[in-house]
Amino acid sequence: MAQTQSPNPKVVRVKGLGRGFWPVTALLTVLSLACAWYFLFGSIDWIMPGASQPVADRASDVDGLFKFMAVFGTAILIYVAGYVIYFGIEFRARPTDPPDLVGVPIHDSPKLELWWTILPTLLLAALTALSINVWYKIQFGVGAPALTMEVVGHQFYFEYRYPGLKTSVFSKTEPMHLPAGVPVRILITSADVIHQFWVPEIRLKQAAVPGLVQNLNYTPLRPGTYDIACSEYCGSDHSLMQGQLIIEPVAAFNKWLDNKEKAAATAGGTVNLANGSAAAGKATYSQKCAACHSDPPAPFDQKLVGPGLLHITDDPAHPALVTGKPPTPANIADILQNGFTGPIGTMPNRQANALSDKDVADLVAYLVSLK
Amino acid sequence: MHAGTGTTHDAHDVHDHIHPAPEGFIRKYVFSLDHKVIGFQYFFTGVFLLLIAGSFAELVRLQLTKPEGAIMSHNAYNEMFTMHGTAMVWMVLIPLVTGAIGNFVMPLQIGARDVAFPWLNMASFWILPVAALILFSSMLFGGPHAGWTEYPPISLADGTAGALWCMAIFVIGISSTMTGLNFMVTVMKMRAPGMTWTRMPLFVWATFATALMNMIATVALSAAVGALFLAHVFNVPFFDAARGGSPVLFEHMFWFYSHPAVYIFIIPAFGVISEVLPTFARKPIFGYKMIAFSSMAISILAFTVWAHHMFPSGLAPWLQLPFMILTYAIGIPTGIKVFSWMATLWGGRIHYTTAMLYAMGFLITFTFGGITGIFLASVPVDLHMHGTYFVVGHFHYVVAGGAVMGFLAAIPYWYPKATGRLMSERIGQLSFWLFFWGLNGTFLPMHWLGLEGMPRRYASYIDFAKANPDAQFWNQFETVASFLMVASFALLVFNLLWSIKHGKIAGINPWGARTLEWTISSPPPYYNFKKLPHVYGRPYDFDQPLPYANTDNELDQYPEYGKVLMPIPTPAPVGAGA
Amino acid sequence: MATAVGTLDGHEAVAARYHDVDPVYAETRDLRLTGFILFLLSDCVLFSSFIFAYVYLRTSAPAWPPFVGGHQLPWFDTSFAAFNSIVLFGSGVTMHFALENWKHLNKRKFNLWLIATIILGLGFLLGQAHEYSVVGISWAGSTMGASFFTLTGMHGFHVFVGVCYLTILGIQANRGVYTGSKYFGLTAGTLYWHFVDVVWVALFFLFYLW
Repeated sequence: MAQTQSPNPKVVRVKGLGRGFWPVTALLTVLSLACAWYFLFGSIDWIMPGASQPVADRASDVDGLFKFMAVFGTAILIYVAGYVIYFGIEFRARPTDPPDLVGVPIHDSPKLELWWTILPTLLLAALTALSINVWYKIQFGVGAPALTMEVVGHQFYFEYRYPGLKTSVFSKTEPMHLPAGVPVRILITSADVIHQFWVPEIRLKQAAVPGLVQNLNYTPLRPGTYDIACSEYCGSDHSLMQGQLIIEPVAAFNKWLDNKEKAAATAGGTVNLANGSAAAGKATYSQKCAACHSDPPAPFDQKLVGPGLLHITDDPAHPALVTGKPPTPANIADILQNGFTGPIGTMPNRQANALSDKDVADLVAYLVSLK
Repeated sequence: MHAGTGTTHDAHDVHDHIHPAPEGFIRKYVFSLDHKVIGFQYFFTGVFLLLIAGSFAELVRLQLTKPEGAIMSHNAYNEMFTMHGTAMVWMVLIPLVTGAIGNFVMPLQIGARDVAFPWLNMASFWILPVAALILFSSMLFGGPHAGWTEYPPISLADGTAGALWCMAIFVIGISSTMTGLNFMVTVMKMRAPGMTWTRMPLFVWATFATALMNMIATVALSAAVGALFLAHVFNVPFFDAARGGSPVLFEHMFWFYSHPAVYIFIIPAFGVISEVLPTFARKPIFGYKMIAFSSMAISILAFTVWAHHMFPSGLAPWLQLPFMILTYAIGIPTGIKVFSWMATLWGGRIHYTTAMLYAMGFLITFTFGGITGIFLASVPVDLHMHGTYFVVGHFHYVVAGGAVMGFLAAIPYWYPKATGRLMSERIGQLSFWLFFWGLNGTFLPMHWLGLEGMPRRYASYIDFAKANPDAQFWNQFETVASFLMVASFALLVFNLLWSIKHGKIAGINPWGARTLEWTISSPPPYYNFKKLPHVYGRPYDFDQPLPYANTDNELDQYPEYGKVLMPIPTPAPVGAGA
Repeated sequence: MATAVGTLDGHEAVAARYHDVDPVYAETRDLRLTGFILFLLSDCVLFSSFIFAYVYLRTSAPAWPPFVGGHQLPWFDTSFAAFNSIVLFGSGVTMHFALENWKHLNKRKFNLWLIATIILGLGFLLGQAHEYSVVGISWAGSTMGASFFTLTGMHGFHVFVGVCYLTILGIQANRGVYTGSKYFGLTAGTLYWHFVDVVWVALFFLFYLW
């Protein structure tokens, strides 16, 4: 068995960093700069819908981050792919090579390794700072919202609840409306399984999770009609769970909301508080309220999902209702009809709770009878 | 039995012990304790399941050629992508990269005769077919529908199929945990004399880092699917909001495992690349210490980033920040590796074998996948991209373009050692190009489809197609490209079978490589090493003589690429305990 | 041969630690001990995962014990559980003495202490059965029940497996499988039994003291 021992295998000689190294580097740099220019100044609307005319203020914040990452990300990819291809060509084995030819026996280069650790770290540190800035604005908003509304996910539609509106708007039949130019807060939850509420042009999505209320804060900017999609698998018809969002000037939005209130007021009967029965109210309470409020009613602080209702009319620590109004039967009825959304949480309106006029009257009678 | 006095170190320590040869078909090929045979068993089972899970993926792609869904109902589609993901993650990828490649190669590379607990190794393998049967049997009960993540509450609608899914994952988890434990003890305790930690081949470092994650993380998965199983069968309300439970809790428990899981896929592939590149560039791996250290760093950091899968899902806001920062941080050791591999190519003399093509392709596709991961790491940007095709594109680049590429590089590299024959280079190179272009064609358009607004797990995309007129075109483009990958796998299977009979005889070291497995015959005898080799240095110094003594065969001190020698006759076994 | 090679990691060092033991066995024991400790570590992760779930559910609940059907569930009775804990910890003490006696080749005492351990272990299980019958909450009714029964159930299952394992060890020891210098199975059994004790410390604190 032949064993040619080559006591000194020939080592490849490389001039500098390689024959074409600097021209290739120059080419890759030009390509990276071209891509950077494109992301920063070109139109990227085809991949980021609404990028050139932001639909919401946070959308342009997200796009700013995206562009930062795209500039550096494409540059890194271009250099990595470019050098791999270049090294693959420049340092390929030739048919004329002696059989024992080996590559340059270099094991490390502390300086080079230091730089290629430090530079990415600095880049990521910058990205962290930029991300935290945008994150804060999304999570906590900037200033108080002019409108707080709720989105509830169902299989397989979205329900939109507006403050003061007794009825909900359903994505199967109508679009969601938002006013342009004022900050909004959207509270998101689910009635059954996990969904996700997403408007691509607005970028931000949040999961609709049963038992949790999440929030999104932004200012819609550009009036128009946009698609809403559910983006978390929620069952067989997940891909059919779509909706539309209409962003319109504040005046138009208010007009729409007013029309909806009028329609809701004329539809159905009215609540007659005088006919309420406390005994019937007790039964209704156990059936429809016990999921979120302690049953039997407990002190305010014994919160389940909602606060305890035992002393709703005579609690010295909480003399007003959560709406800030005095605890009269009419004001209690208002909460039952319209629902409530505030720091303490969110209570569905009467339509969501399936309360009839009689139910509302009975519940008011029952709650008022608790002392 | 007493040893008497002192530590007379002679050939009688346990690692020098050669047990008698196994006899009988069952002992040799069915319930074998030999890590090499077990590696083969994992390989066949894994590749078989890969073909099945891959066919499910093709059905998914065919469905999406029309916006209204081309070939099946929503329910059937949901079942298809769920089974595709579940089977690929647990029944294909992990068994192939750890059970097949890890089992076959790692003990040879450390100069050991087997793993620490051979019986446990055998049991770990046999759990795989059982788990796969349980998983596929769930399809007889309607199948699971909620994706490989099977989040409650929706996954509870899967009924019996869901419970079987949980059972299958729980069972395969036992196999992974045992393999992780086995490999950890093997690397810690059974290296050849003189092989210190910093003289280990990088594939062994990768195996160790993977085994650590396997052993610790998989148990957390067992807890998650165990709790889900209890919810299915006994109505236990861990995840039921109406009774005080929390769906987000499942996500925490699930992702605490499933994030390390993705590193379990990729780190062995990193190890393979670290072996293949130096061998075919004929020069040392650049930055050995940093590559080894970064594998361990990734292995540990992997446990700290799981909630980046949950940014829109109900995390307390302040929690999003540390996970974002740690996810960015984990990009740094990964980047160091990529740069070190590139520096390994520089100044080399590159021989373009199939394995080398896959390794170099890996550098490009994995880097792309890693970069899109950074996009997803940023909370605000993730709020846009989560749940869209951007994510599907990202993870297929790192899984198919990373882990699978690494696996496909390992096959032609170690097939000669395992079988004694080389695979066909022509077919192999064609396979590579089909796979490379097929991969890019299938998964690149997913990125912009996702950004434009196409959510994932959609059986039909009618509204999206109305808003984006080119949606159908790109989906069809992806489907056509995916068939290039199908062709590549068909050629691979053909190559594997054809080369058994018709491949060139490989000899002990066709690649001129320097790790210990290339010092013994191809295929190795059942006991691997008659004499335990002594190790003096790292295996990557191509301009230096081999750093070994006391080897079984007389070796070329400077192994040359492509010098195929006649196979060396296998020495007779020494006999029990001698 | 040894001198020609320079530093040989591991093997000589391991053999040196067991200087009065056959070096072949020393290596085997070392492997097994490492493997067994890693196994216990992975078992820790199992309990830790469910403990995480319990802590998560409890800290995010609006009230604890939670309200079910309008009524608040009762707290657990610490005194009986404390008594049962002493039974279990006692069995840890007896197991320690069992192993010590084996090491000193005192087979008769080993048997006595081992039987005491098994009896105390079974006693603990009976105590848990009693606790389950009086605790007044159900597995599926609330997150309190879910966490309590799942965690203590897993622990009880580990105790049951441990009792079986110790029984088998006892039979093996009396059949001569172990010697004065080769008794890894007994070491593993003792380590496992102490592990079960340590987990119980955590569970007792989490359910009865917190």
